[in-house]
Amino acid sequence: MLFFRSEERLEEWCRTCGEPVRPTATLPQLWGLAKAWYSTRLRRDSRRPQPDEIRSIFGRLGLTDDFWDPRADTFG
Amino acid sequence: MPDVDLEVKLAVYRHFAGTARRPSAGEIGATLGLPGDEVLASFRRLVGKRVLVLDDDGASIRMAPPFSGIPTQHVAVVEGREHFANCAWDVFGIVAACGGRGTALSRCEQSREPLELEIGNDGPEASDWLFHSAVPAARWWDDIVFT
Repeated sequence: MLFFRSEERLEEWCRTCGEPVRPTATLPQLWGLAKAWYSTRLRRDSRRPQPDEIRSIFGRLGLTDDFWDPRADTFG
Repeated sequence: MPDVDLEVKLAVYRHFAGTARRPSAGEIGATLGLPGDEVLASFRRLVGKRVLVLDDDGASIRMAPPFSGIPTQHVAVVEGREHFANCAWDVFGIVAACGGRGTALSRCEQSREPLELEIGNDGPEASDWLFHSAVPAARWWDDIVFT
């Protein structure tokens, strides 16, 4: 999981590394994910989101591609 | 999760948050009043629950997401402490876990241009940088170190 300055830099990196270009997230979307996963991590009642919650979190942030679905089997 | 595992998990996270470095089983044992071998057994159960990833020595903490036990290119600066993160997501995650305000330091993986981003009460400052995962969500834990 990496940062890229632009779509062009990402595409260059994927070509160089032989990796497919996957859907990207903006930094505000990434911040939403980070808060959902980790904002309670130091608390006793913290727990990892479950698959249905994960789908809901991604959907709320506008990340609706199958790529973000923890149960999707459409990516090799 | 047995109570001892919950206590060990919390102690590990709080050690990372308070010191910005990984704790040993002995340090966690001293904090909790437990023998080191009991803490190590707990570490291994926590690996099975995807809470920790250990180094090849089977004892040192490689990852307690979002914290990294080893230096990486992703650093979260919170209250003057520089925490290593496992990946781009986790550098934001450390800031979220440690109160929600800090600085994310990383780089563009292709150009190596540095990223320095302030995160405040309203989230990260405006930026058009992108986050990319080469691995789909359904396979993140197949090889979490690569992910």
